[in-house]
Amino acid sequence: MSGTAADNPGGKRDDEWSQCLELIGRARDRAAFARLFTHFAPLVKAFALGGSPLAASHSEELVQEVMIKVWQKASAFDARKASASTWIYTIARNCRTDLYRRLQKFDTPISADDIWPDMDTGDLFAAVQSNRDASRVRGLLGELPHEQAQILAKVYMEGKSHSEVAEELDLPLGTVKSRVRLAMNKLQLMVEK
Amino acid sequence: MVSHHPDTRLLNEHAAGALDLAPSVCVTLHLNYCEQCRRAHRQLRDLGAGLFDRLPPQAVSENLMDAVMARLDHEPEPLSYRATAAAEGCPPLVQRLMQRDYQDLDWRKIGSQVRICHLRTGDQDNEFALYHIRAGGRIPRHTHRGTELTLVLEGSFSDESGHYEAGDFLMRDGHNQHTPTATRDRDCICVGVLDAPVRFTDWRFRAANPFLRLNAC
Ligand SMILES: [Zn+2]
Repeated sequence: MSGTAADNPGGKRDDEWSQCLELIGRARDRAAFARLFTHFAPLVKAFALGGSPLAASHSEELVQEVMIKVWQKASAFDARKASASTWIYTIARNCRTDLYRRLQKFDTPISADDIWPDMDTGDLFAAVQSNRDASRVRGLLGELPHEQAQILAKVYMEGKSHSEVAEELDLPLGTVKSRVRLAMNKLQLMVEK
Repeated sequence: MVSHHPDTRLLNEHAAGALDLAPSVCVTLHLNYCEQCRRAHRQLRDLGAGLFDRLPPQAVSENLMDAVMARLDHEPEPLSYRATAAAEGCPPLVQRLMQRDYQDLDWRKIGSQVRICHLRTGDQDNEFALYHIRAGGRIPRHTHRGTELTLVLEGSFSDESGHYEAGDFLMRDGHNQHTPTATRDRDCICVGVLDAPVRFTDWRFRAANPFLRLNAC
């Protein structure tokens, strides 16, 4: 079982990006990098603009930083462990977090890479399971009711806490928490076995 | 065996980067001990990636790609922190915050059985501290206004509602008055993260309350 294409029904496109990353990692292929840039840079920019206003005002700086990290770290990419967009998303999340703390002159010995170390398992069975989880989540995401998807987008794309989301949407905190829990159930996430 | 975990809200906020630094460190420490939460974390990371894929793309400046291309071969590799296996005792992430040996930390005594040391994380809204409770010792009865996160690093302790071992993660709000007591066989070391100062309910310890002092500066 290869874990990626076979288990990932909508994964044809993601396969293309995985191949780009492998080409960049193995052969420093600039044409592959340009293709990846064309697709992902506008997403990273959208992600930067979604963050705090402070970080949003540096959105293209963030795009540059993320894309350069993608180039530098491409040889560490392993398609069996994560899809290309998961891999790029985590780089963008880490860079946005560090950029925000840097702009705030946050004096800390801890970086985003310390908070989110590589938690991929070396166990191939678990990696395959992990990839199944990932493609299922993607498939189910489109079926979430708007009121749940909206909250997840605010937490993940805008980096807001549940309390901040509650305040912004003028909802009780308990409602936000229960909508997130409903979404987790719908996406079949974190369900105790 | 880890049996107490961060809740859904904390795991989501942690994975999303929506959690303050000090509580994030506390959740990350728990993940070191807990495969169940590591799997949840991987799933939530994939959820984040799924949302990322669906963002409406924002056009970047025309010359941005060229600017990045021009920098590709000149950028130094970022110096990244590699988690090295700790010789003994505290996890690397905690060692990084300690910045010196455990014994040389600036410990403050709370009674004869407990010492506390605050570590600077850079997080202005949360206090991050190590608690060292002697075998059989107890933390004086206290309440707090905000939320207290506790992660057991070594040894084990019990309080009114349960027994906790290395890796266990607890979240308490201010309504709980509790007196954690270390088991008799060995010392217990915990990480505690607070978003509001602790109030010791026993007057004998109030003068020694390190949280109030810390908050004053
Ligand atoms: Zn856990």
